[in-house]
Amino acid sequence: MRAETGSNSSSPRPSPLSCRPALRVAGAFLGLLALAGCATPPPKDPDALAEYNEANDRYEKLNRKAFAITMWANKYTLRPVAKAYIWAVPRPLRNSFGNLYQTMNEPVVFFNDVGAGKSRRAGDAFVRWCINMTAGLGGLIDVAAYAGYKHHDNDAGLTMATWGVPSGPYLFLPALGPSSFRDGIGYGIDVGLAPWNYVPRGYGLVTFNWAYSIMGTINGMATNVDALDQVLKDSLDPYATIRSAYQQQRKAQAAAIKADHRATVPDWYSNR
Amino acid sequence: MQTSFTRRHALGLLTIAGALSVTAPVHAVDSGAQARTFVHDFGNKLVAIVNNDISLPQKKQQIEPLLEQNVDVDAIGRYCIGRYWRIATPEQQTHYLQLFHQVLVNAITDKIGDYRGVSFTVGPATPSGEDIAVSTVINRPGQPAANTEWVISSSSGAPKVVDVVGEGASLRLTQRQDYSSYIARNGGNVDALLHALTKQLANHH
Repeated sequence: MRAETGSNSSSPRPSPLSCRPALRVAGAFLGLLALAGCATPPPKDPDALAEYNEANDRYEKLNRKAFAITMWANKYTLRPVAKAYIWAVPRPLRNSFGNLYQTMNEPVVFFNDVGAGKSRRAGDAFVRWCINMTAGLGGLIDVAAYAGYKHHDNDAGLTMATWGVPSGPYLFLPALGPSSFRDGIGYGIDVGLAPWNYVPRGYGLVTFNWAYSIMGTINGMATNVDALDQVLKDSLDPYATIRSAYQQQRKAQAAAIKADHRATVPDWYSNR
Repeated sequence: MQTSFTRRHALGLLTIAGALSVTAPVHAVDSGAQARTFVHDFGNKLVAIVNNDISLPQKKQQIEPLLEQNVDVDAIGRYCIGRYWRIATPEQQTHYLQLFHQVLVNAITDKIGDYRGVSFTVGPATPSGEDIAVSTVINRPGQPAANTEWVISSSSGAPKVVDVVGEGASLRLTQRQDYSSYIARNGGNVDALLHALTKQLANHH
């Protein structure tokens, strides 16, 4: 599960457990390999087939198991932690941690904007990084947003989507959450693009990296905990609801990036 | 700036388009402007209730008739049950729609009931199949602005909301996958859905 980076905060995406990025990637790829022999065959009835194709979930049986385990673990570990965090840390401070996490992720957004051939979006990500790391005190304050450079999300899954790479079947990855073949591979690429995973040992940087990952995960869960609770309470089949919402949102995000022909100037200039 | 597209502008455009005797665009301009005006009016009424300093049950009481009037609940209900609509008996269909009305009203009032200080701006209207999607930006204090699209259909005679798309996810499509998956996992039995909805309503507070 990617930690929350802001612009898609209304998504019902759960943010499960945190562990080391390299381990998470290894786990994701092992999961992909293990899928090889357990696809559900498509139904014969044409209506049922249309439904099957719409769900795009060939590995539903396995995915549902991963979902059940993740939701169970979430209920007893990350959710109470996130609830305690909301109780203990006032909202402005939580927002600051969110900003910090978002700014630190800006290099990944930048590389992906470049990869998607969106130089102007990349420019915005770069300017955001420069402003927030300096004037924003290492990212605690989102000064760039006040200056007219609003945050936008991007990741390698979306970059591949803009290249026309199909998502492949839906996947629910244990601890990482809703994904697909394309987005799962994209997640691995993003971990590779994050400069924080290349910090040398010593100087307390490894500790920083851990603290950063854990903080990002808890903060992300705190942002989403109410939405997730509501989905679990309101839907008859939360698994299917999350699957549908995730796939629709990824499609819309990719379409939005493709259609984004923004100017290099900040908001306050172009809106004059 | 985005909301300055008034009825007068719409009429002006209509007149010009009519003078040029272009039939298809006349219809497009007409329905687009009509949909925007509809969203603007309906949204204003809704926001007025939400921002009003009254109790939550009172808000719900006021919102319910407004929804029945401006939202095509039957059409959304039929969409959400998908292919099982044809399998269901007429009694099941009627019962389902009754339950669905309550479920939808609860879902909407739960979501917006506690808000205060909500405002919104109406953006452009674009065709979405046979319907028209009107984009809006909803602002709530202390929260990021939410981009929401309202899909408006005039198939019932008057413009009515048939779908809401939040951050790229269509509510009715998500709901359909929820319901059809639930029915499929309960042996394709529509009664299982009716039972689950009844239970959901009974547990609602």
